[in-house]
Amino acid sequence: MNVDVDPTPTPSDVIALELCALTRVYQLKRGLFRTPGQIKAVDDVSLRIRKGETLGLVGESGCGKSTLAKMLLGLLAPTSGNVLINGREIDPTRREALARSVQPIFQDPYSSLNPRRTVADIVGVPLRLHQVGTHAEQAKRVKEMLDLVGMPERTHRQYPNQLSGGQRQRVAIARALVLRPEILICDEPTSALDVSVQAQILNLLLDLKAEFGLTYLFISHDLGVVEHLVDRVAVMHRGQVVELGTREQIFARPEHAYTRMLLASALTPEPGLGIPDIERALPLAVA
Amino acid sequence: MNAPLLDVKNLRVDLPTERGLLHAVRGIDFHVNRGEMLCLVGESGCGKSMTSLALMGLLPRRAVRTADHIRFDGVDLQTLPEKGMTALRGARMAMIFQEPMTSLNPSYTLGDQLCEALRAHRKVTAAEARDRAVHLLERAGVPQAADRMRQYPHQLSGGLRQRVMIAMALMCGPDLIIADEPTTALDVTIQAQILRLIRELQKEFGTAVVFITHDLGVVARIADRVAVMYAGEVIETAPVGELFARPTHPYTRGLLNCIPVRGKTLPGSHLQAIPGVVPSLVGEVRGCAFANRCSFVQPACAETPPYVALNDRHAVRCVHAQTEMAEAA
Repeated sequence: MNVDVDPTPTPSDVIALELCALTRVYQLKRGLFRTPGQIKAVDDVSLRIRKGETLGLVGESGCGKSTLAKMLLGLLAPTSGNVLINGREIDPTRREALARSVQPIFQDPYSSLNPRRTVADIVGVPLRLHQVGTHAEQAKRVKEMLDLVGMPERTHRQYPNQLSGGQRQRVAIARALVLRPEILICDEPTSALDVSVQAQILNLLLDLKAEFGLTYLFISHDLGVVEHLVDRVAVMHRGQVVELGTREQIFARPEHAYTRMLLASALTPEPGLGIPDIERALPLAVA
Repeated sequence: MNAPLLDVKNLRVDLPTERGLLHAVRGIDFHVNRGEMLCLVGESGCGKSMTSLALMGLLPRRAVRTADHIRFDGVDLQTLPEKGMTALRGARMAMIFQEPMTSLNPSYTLGDQLCEALRAHRKVTAAEARDRAVHLLERAGVPQAADRMRQYPHQLSGGLRQRVMIAMALMCGPDLIIADEPTTALDVTIQAQILRLIRELQKEFGTAVVFITHDLGVVARIADRVAVMYAGEVIETAPVGELFARPTHPYTRGLLNCIPVRGKTLPGSHLQAIPGVVPSLVGEVRGCAFANRCSFVQPACAETPPYVALNDRHAVRCVHAQTEMAEAA
């Protein structure tokens, strides 16, 4: 495998991604005569991710983690606050510059790939949009990327509906990496996959990080996966980061009540432990 | 020991597709005892949901179900006319689905829907049905149950809807509940609460449950006994403790090894993925369906492996189990 990016497997002191007091407010219109309400989907979130680091972002549905991801990708403008990449503020009018540094991998590989294009076409789109290299160079780079993510050559001419879920997610990863970004925003990348396939994709993400020195923001509700993959964890609840710490701190010595509840709810495959009594232990959590 | 509540022998489900006949369920045997929690676990396409629909007689019309017998409380369901099945469904066998929003009718109140099932099957007055509905909603942890009776499904959160579905399944006091991924759509904190509720109510009412899931964490915590499915077959069955302590089929072992577990898996290390993908079930599958992904494959795997009983509660469909048994004997 050829490496033309400086491989930095361990986190350095360089800040790759910085979120400063990032806030996103949604206006709600409820009926004709009622006063409009507000929801702070992301409420004053400040985070720093070092180059080569994997930061896990955990929380339940509606906690604001996907809204946060959209703002980092420039798909949604923050209401206030800003995002810095390598110390430079992102310019919302120049999405293509952002796309060169930050790329997403989404949860559902069934809806994120264009069904009318072949695998090679899909992976080549970013190169064509950004006019990187000649036609032949683009084709070469697409093939290299697909080889790297473990897509056999015969699949390069196939369409997404001919692929399994795991293969589709490999294609999505190849497309995200083809512009050689420094930062990947992984939004529940294995939640739609079977566990045996999930392991293949997690291994691939680990390999790619070591190879390219990538920085990951890894969003997931699966605490087992998060613990396996990340260096630090941010726990989100109702739009705010309620706890931030290293993997060891969060998993061994959680401090915030919500973090403790999340950890208590996680069902590890250990028979005999029974089902945790969340309601009695932490009464704030009744569904 | 008493006869099992549900006893299934050689169940098959075939679905005609454009590419040929899809063998979704390929001759499975299993039983559920009264008051027992049996988990059917497997990955997508393994036939676990088709099995549940086949038991309830709710398969798509084009699907073909055959079996030596599907005995429910001594009666073979295959011999029942549709009317007999209708009388059974909802009354003695109830089902809880993954997404409660699609199984609740959006245009009726919860009260109407809860009472409807009971009044269809039992001679009760409207007031009696209402009382039971309120009681079960309360028991299922729905706050202000009496007021909720007048509400519509969209007014509830996902967790509350699933609590309503559980109350609804219990309305007629069924002997068997089939729960198909009932907590997959829920957040983890809500999932733990709903699982606990299902387990408590199951013990309180002595209901047998077939619990279908892909999540081994859920299986470990809720099951009495487990049947692992792969490519339309049950490949291993054992009590939950024994299955996790002594997984024997290479697929079961693979499944348990590929999930990261706190304190067991070294963070950042490579997980033991199962290579390859599930075979297509269109057309005949010859020999062991797992052979193309198995690291212990041998020539004998080209033949259909026997279902070997390791003891009276643990059975495995694998040639290696057979040789191990022969060596031990």
